[in-house]
Amino acid sequence: MTTLLSLPPWFPLHFVPASNLVGILPVLIVGGGSVLVLLADLAVPRRGNLVLPVISGVVVLGALGTAVGQWILNATNPVVFNGAFADDRFALFADFVVLLTALAVICLSPGYLRRRGMEEGEYYILLLASLTGMLVLSGATNLIVIFLGVELLSIPLYVLAGFARDEPLSQEAAMKYLLLGGFASGFLLYGMALIYGETGHTGLAAIHQQLLQGALSHSFDPMLLAGIALLSVGLLFKVSAAPFQWWTPDVYQGSPAIVTTFMSVATKVAAFAVFLRLFSATLAPYRSEWEVPIAVVAIISMVFGNLVAVAQTSVKRVLAYSGIAQAGYILIGVAVGSPDGTQAALYYLAAYAFMNTGAFAVLTILSQRGEDCDRYSQLAGLWRRQPLLAGLMALFMLSLAGFPMTVGFFGKFFLFSAAIHDGQLPLAIWGILTSAVSLFYYLRVILVMFTAVPDADSDTAPTLAGLSLEGTAVASSTAASVGIPAGVVVVLAGVGTVVLGIFPALIYTLLQGITVVHG
Amino acid sequence: MNWPILTVLLLVPVAGALLLLALPGARPGAIRAILMAVTAVTLGLSCVLLVVFLAVPTSGTAKLSGTANGQALSQVHSPVTFQFQEQVNWLHSGASLSQVHPAFNEGNNAFNQAGPPPINFSYHVGVDGLSVWLIALAGLLFLVAAVVLSRKEERLRSFAVLMLLSEAGVIGVLTSLDLVLFYFFWEAALIPLYFLMIGWGDERRGRSALKFIIYTVAGSLFMLLAIIGVYFVTGAQTGVYTFDVPTLIAAQSFVQSTHATTFSLFGHSFPALNPQDWLFLAFALAFAIKVPLVPFHGWLPDAYASGKTPFLVFFTGIVSKLGAFGFIRYNLTLFPQASHLFQPLLMGLAVASILYGALAALAQSDIKRTVAYASISHLGFVVLGIFALNIDGLNGAIIQMVNHGLIIAALFICVGIFEARFGTRRLRDLGGLAKAMPVMAGIFLVVALAGLGMPLMNSFVGEFLILLGAFQVSPAWAVVASLGVILAAWYMLRLYQGLTQGPLRIPGGGDDSTPAAILGRLGRVDLSPVEIVALAPLVGLMILIGVYPGPIIRYSRYSADQYVRAADRSTGQDPVLSTASARIIRPDQAGGKSSR
Repeated sequence: MTTLLSLPPWFPLHFVPASNLVGILPVLIVGGGSVLVLLADLAVPRRGNLVLPVISGVVVLGALGTAVGQWILNATNPVVFNGAFADDRFALFADFVVLLTALAVICLSPGYLRRRGMEEGEYYILLLASLTGMLVLSGATNLIVIFLGVELLSIPLYVLAGFARDEPLSQEAAMKYLLLGGFASGFLLYGMALIYGETGHTGLAAIHQQLLQGALSHSFDPMLLAGIALLSVGLLFKVSAAPFQWWTPDVYQGSPAIVTTFMSVATKVAAFAVFLRLFSATLAPYRSEWEVPIAVVAIISMVFGNLVAVAQTSVKRVLAYSGIAQAGYILIGVAVGSPDGTQAALYYLAAYAFMNTGAFAVLTILSQRGEDCDRYSQLAGLWRRQPLLAGLMALFMLSLAGFPMTVGFFGKFFLFSAAIHDGQLPLAIWGILTSAVSLFYYLRVILVMFTAVPDADSDTAPTLAGLSLEGTAVASSTAASVGIPAGVVVVLAGVGTVVLGIFPALIYTLLQGITVVHG
Repeated sequence: MNWPILTVLLLVPVAGALLLLALPGARPGAIRAILMAVTAVTLGLSCVLLVVFLAVPTSGTAKLSGTANGQALSQVHSPVTFQFQEQVNWLHSGASLSQVHPAFNEGNNAFNQAGPPPINFSYHVGVDGLSVWLIALAGLLFLVAAVVLSRKEERLRSFAVLMLLSEAGVIGVLTSLDLVLFYFFWEAALIPLYFLMIGWGDERRGRSALKFIIYTVAGSLFMLLAIIGVYFVTGAQTGVYTFDVPTLIAAQSFVQSTHATTFSLFGHSFPALNPQDWLFLAFALAFAIKVPLVPFHGWLPDAYASGKTPFLVFFTGIVSKLGAFGFIRYNLTLFPQASHLFQPLLMGLAVASILYGALAALAQSDIKRTVAYASISHLGFVVLGIFALNIDGLNGAIIQMVNHGLIIAALFICVGIFEARFGTRRLRDLGGLAKAMPVMAGIFLVVALAGLGMPLMNSFVGEFLILLGAFQVSPAWAVVASLGVILAAWYMLRLYQGLTQGPLRIPGGGDDSTPAAILGRLGRVDLSPVEIVALAPLVGLMILIGVYPGPIIRYSRYSADQYVRAADRSTGQDPVLSTASARIIRPDQAGGKSSR
């Protein structure tokens, strides 16, 4: 294949085997798309047109199509660039989730940015740049590439968090995220350095071989363990697992809702992808060492996230703490370490993408000029005003709480069965107990939407264009401001949540063929 | 059976709900007509199911061919037989996630075990002599609820849609024969119920609904763990990894669990709990909350007091039966040994529920709460009968489940009418209403007498059999439980007399409190034709079952026998292949003596 597809000598990268370029094609497309949007932004000076979002959407669609094509044609390649990158089904699955989330975010963006008065071309450039980092991360099989991915993902997000330049909360969020994120990167890098120092390799496959010998000789290795610990801290920060979650509520609340949507879902998926690759494959020989700490982190996240969420008065903060708790659930799959666990974690990530994107999408649609939809009172009586939107939000809340008929149920079902199968009953029991607690705040959102009396000032909130259940004339000027794409995104997220909640096999069979490799 | 009647039964309410959603402009009268039509069709189908089920002798007789695996296993070894079965693959996965490096497996014992096959479960439905009664009861109660539902109810369309979805959920719980499917319906049915609770009712409904959901889901989640646990524990012991209920029931015949290990405490040695025992407790917790048994009943008085009458008709009538149904269907069959081990515990809780419910009902000043606590007391009898673990007790429990559904629905309709007419639920504010509403008083008397277990009323039959069964196990428990019958007479008659007898008393009686003046001001307050139509089938069945209980006893006895044999497998011998099969009472055979 390599010889057949070798590039002509005039091509700038002719010295690179073409199969390598094919392997990173989604990354190339999105990264190139980011540059394209940068240029287009210069060419299209007028604010408020749809050129940039359309270009961005086409770029993401192209990357998605490429990834799907690679999956269907089985054109995967576990060793790209001498083992620095793996274009395997594991990476492709993570790519699907991340790209779909990004597509949803891009569809939601124009309306949201217009309402909030933040229509800047840089937004799409940064979004695509961050997305490139995520795609790098999902396939990274080398410590250096992992670090590159993490930084490429994070730095645009630092800027995006502060994108609402007039709002102090947004500025605070950006600053906090930057400082703490930089700190976490330091941990990550230090851990990598220690691991490199001990094994002499940065490639995951080579490290794995070294560890295998070390594990078989039963030698205790404090430097290596410190390296693994520091590496974990860096990644746990990115997935916002407790006790490394302190930035999450403030950043989620302060950032513009649309950025929070992207950050809360896509970042978590990409970071968990690399987490799963590291722990269930590369570090597997040291499983007895990291199993308990990861399980403890999972339990702390579930307990802390769910308990603190009960006391919140801001919807975005509730979802932030809910995100911490959800990270805890996914960590069950990591801690279990078995193939079942990996599969369950991947399933939950896909489920999480649908329900959490949906929930945040509703918040972005409801956000008005001047402020995001963040207080419970802004959701009050939503059922009377916009039954469909309220119904969808209720669906996402029920899914996050893990009710059947929603995708969240099977997510939890697979995670708990993996834990029980592996003999990790305490993890499952903590998951159960905290799930019961989570009902308090998820159902409170529903209760507020369906029973409370709306605020007088919230009647001006935009309605979901032409999608009112009651069929009344909502296609007014405010309705048009949300736009069809945003409405379609929320409805599709809802449909996905229900369909995947009834037919779990749709995702589960995809996961069957996945092998976790490390180059 | 080629015709998928159970799937149709499940889909009719869903289709009705979708139809209502698709008609945004429908007038209240039309909505109510559609609702009644859909529930009537469902009732009709469930009656067809019942009649065909009872008419056709059981087809699932033991076949001694086939391997001890899967479907063949369940046909050979399951003491409980299911009919009208339909099975479609739901999630069937092929190979498991393959692993990293073959070399690595050597050092890691978690991966190289010949583990269970990857999880798979199916859409598998079917009925037996237990669920078929409850499905018919559900069909009746939802129709009654539709009749009771006023066309002036606010947000009528939403109410109707949620009600139909609840019906589908209830039917799903009663028909599912796969543990995952069962849990799926069990929890999914909560969603429409939750929205019904927060959307309609008194001003405390939000809190009541949250309480109900948290109680229920907390219990159910442990059951979810236990469902997963059953899969692995049964699989590890028998090699049959499945969520399929008939197969699991059959597989329990091969589970050997001896209480060999013990632990000592305070100088005594106790048997340590087997995995099965823990699983039993997890299932029992979910069902005990749903029933509810006494320490887990905290959600009930609030939920019952807050709800609207149409909602309460099916919520108290059928949804509360699902807990008792679960005890019989899952606890007795999947954990036979644990059922015997925990028999004293469950019987004790049941007796505690009977007495606590009755005493609490006596102490209430709120008529709805009185009925709510009475319900706890009555359901205590059902659980007492179940865990007598003999044919009489279980037979009584099955009958009493149906009876209680009829009685409690009628009681809440009556109480709801008093509340709606006079705007108060305080017993002290009302009195002498027989003068104002003689028809109502007459019907209420019948319902109250049924509620207190009067001979010739349906409840007498069930409670008698339950006490008969309990007496065989423990005379002491039976004697204590029969105190509940006496207390029932007290609180029921207190309610009846307080409301209908004595001087006429209504809230805000005004200056002129002579009966004639009050009657004049009230105008016509007696039952409307619609309300009579709603109550008539319930009252009719109460009397019919009370006067002529023969058929229902005979048919449910067959089912009771199956479940008792399922629970009696603690000796480790195969019940079907042993002499126990001689005890099968076929309805067509047993019917000969008394009906002809």
